[in-house]
Amino acid sequence: MHNVGRAARSLWFVALVGALIEQSSAFTIAIAPGPPPTVYLQIGVGTFTGGSYSTGGTPGNNATVNTVSVSVPAAAVGNQTAQAMTTDSAVSASSYDGRTFCTAPTQLYVGGFFRRPGNGGGSSATLTASVPASLIDDAGDTIPFSQISWTSSGIGDSGAEPFPSGTFTAAGTQSIGTIDRNQWAESCWTFSYANTIFPAAGTYTGVVLYTLTAP
Amino acid sequence: MRAMPRCVFVLILAVALPAGAKTTVIDDSGTLPYESTLALHWQQLSPRPPLNNLLTGTVSVRVRLNLAPWLRRSGHIYLRLPAQQPGPMTISWTTQGRLLPGAISTGSRTLVYAGPITAPFIEDVLQLTLNVDAARMQQIYHVNFIFEMDED
Repeated sequence: MHNVGRAARSLWFVALVGALIEQSSAFTIAIAPGPPPTVYLQIGVGTFTGGSYSTGGTPGNNATVNTVSVSVPAAAVGNQTAQAMTTDSAVSASSYDGRTFCTAPTQLYVGGFFRRPGNGGGSSATLTASVPASLIDDAGDTIPFSQISWTSSGIGDSGAEPFPSGTFTAAGTQSIGTIDRNQWAESCWTFSYANTIFPAAGTYTGVVLYTLTAP
Repeated sequence: MRAMPRCVFVLILAVALPAGAKTTVIDDSGTLPYESTLALHWQQLSPRPPLNNLLTGTVSVRVRLNLAPWLRRSGHIYLRLPAQQPGPMTISWTTQGRLLPGAISTGSRTLVYAGPITAPFIEDVLQLTLNVDAARMQQIYHVNFIFEMDED
């Protein structure tokens, strides 16, 4: 009799659990990890369609290569007095929100962003510059790129700039700054020529290639 | 001797469930999302502080609930979002009118219907919008939803 009673209780319990399981159901939605990593870099002129970034504008490609230049008077060549350079970029507005951020043409705008979902894969994108050894004129005369430097600022900015002041390292790739994950970063560069050497008269040119690399 | 243990069991069960509020998971096996995977995008493109790091996405779900067990009775139907990976989420939805629109966060539930059960099935199409912190999205996740019935 005792064994029969235990069996009856067990059956009752199983029946109850069975009733609960019978009703169980749930629908499922699969969610993908999110958009792919996105980077945007603008040195000088850039393209946003439909407004600035903060107002929903969409960044686009822009093939413009801006020039930074200076003409050193003959009497001043090599006099150790740095010569301010200007740019042909007319961009003074932040591409983030359109506010006046730089002073063109004495400053060159640089800005961009790096976005990536998740926690893995690094916390910042790195901006580098690939710098030739020299600027060269038609006669093959040269000026070392290390004669050119820049200061970094921005109207209304305080604290460290994301793309700080520096001097070109001739014939190399140098780090220019970083953009933290899910951040917009921007600075204004004012270039100058050190004017500590005596090159031959001529027009010297060289191209620096900037690259933003996301992890 | 055999009757006493059963009484004790029934009493424990009665204490565990509030009187008049028996909650039962509804058979929603006919419920399916229209898209196999919900693609998320940034809720706010701007990455500048104050940082909005939410990903968002919207998916249509055809809801079909089997209410036959409660036919000709009254009840409250809730949509529950159990605690699960990838962590805290908020979901809002619109409907075509058979169920109530609403919003829900992880670990809670929201009323979607109250009243008499007059048909064995209730059907609607929900436009679900899901928001989740981008930092939590390491991989693909399968988010489970549960419809529950509280009998009146």
